[in-house]
Amino acid sequence: MSSLPKAVRARAATAALPDGGMGLILPPTAIRDIARDFGLPGCEVEASALELGIHPERYLRNRRAVSDTDQRLLLRARAAQVGLGGLGGLLLDQFLRLGVGHLRAADGDAFETTNLNRQALATAETLGMSKAEAARLRAAEVNPSVRLEARNEFLTPETLPAFLDGCSLAVDALGGLEIRPALRKAAAEAGIPLVTGALAGWVGYVGVVLPGSVSPSDIMGQRESAEKQLGCPAPAVNLMASLMAAEAVKLLCGRPSSLAGKMLIVDLGALSFDTVTL
Amino acid sequence: MGIEIKCFATLAGLEPENAADYPVSEGETVNSLLAKIGIPAEEVAIIFINSVRSFADSPVRDGDRVGLFPAVGGG
Repeated sequence: MSSLPKAVRARAATAALPDGGMGLILPPTAIRDIARDFGLPGCEVEASALELGIHPERYLRNRRAVSDTDQRLLLRARAAQVGLGGLGGLLLDQFLRLGVGHLRAADGDAFETTNLNRQALATAETLGMSKAEAARLRAAEVNPSVRLEARNEFLTPETLPAFLDGCSLAVDALGGLEIRPALRKAAAEAGIPLVTGALAGWVGYVGVVLPGSVSPSDIMGQRESAEKQLGCPAPAVNLMASLMAAEAVKLLCGRPSSLAGKMLIVDLGALSFDTVTL
Repeated sequence: MGIEIKCFATLAGLEPENAADYPVSEGETVNSLLAKIGIPAEEVAIIFINSVRSFADSPVRDGDRVGLFPAVGGG
């Protein structure tokens, strides 16, 4: 039986690399076939290819921004994301395109018409569909190399610890303030960092909470939150999700986040950016 | 010289007209400032002065930048 490195080398092709010079690349069809033949997730085939100096073609345009070493780390990383709505759908899309290999995500909601203004997975086709199912379909379309475990359930303080088990990062893509403190507590108990974010109207924030630190939502408590009045427009949701995804990449690659213990407050109306130490 | 006040999201409508240069008195605190401007203290979730989280009894001095942030949880 052929070894995995042999199979990867056999399907590699020589191509011009975006940053100059020639190199070996592995197209998505080869990854799909090898993954099937070896009973492996595509992300593991891709990580193995990188170890051989062969670049999975789908990530070529991330080169330099995501080093080969970081790409390998991302492909073997495990992240747990709570929420597949506004922030969650956009985060999922970015994690898929970045090649975060193992994603666990949960949302017990189904898409409704008022989600169409901002939620990446909400379309005329997915109205009424569970957000978890829409996430599975999206993952298969965008990057089948990623192993996505999407659960159609609302997590609770009781179920959060098991949900985070085995993951090195927690991502807070929840709506509202009710469950956020429980997620912060579960992440702290699991000893993993939490990337959090929220918005109301054109104002939002992003923060990184290390175990033992306070989170913005801890401070906010269980008040009536501003988005009920101000709504959640797409540009603000997109920007917060992008800031969260960028911090998630650093943390998944084992690097510090300069937002640890802080929150970055963005006001798209005034176009102001304030970093606050909590 | 006064202070700079920035009110976010639902608090933006309560920001005083002279927020860029708001006068403060001797012994001013966040609490006394909120009372003067007319912002209900319970509507302010996070207070920051010069980019550091502060509290209702934190002193406010000339030249400070005061940020007032409500509860925000949309996603």
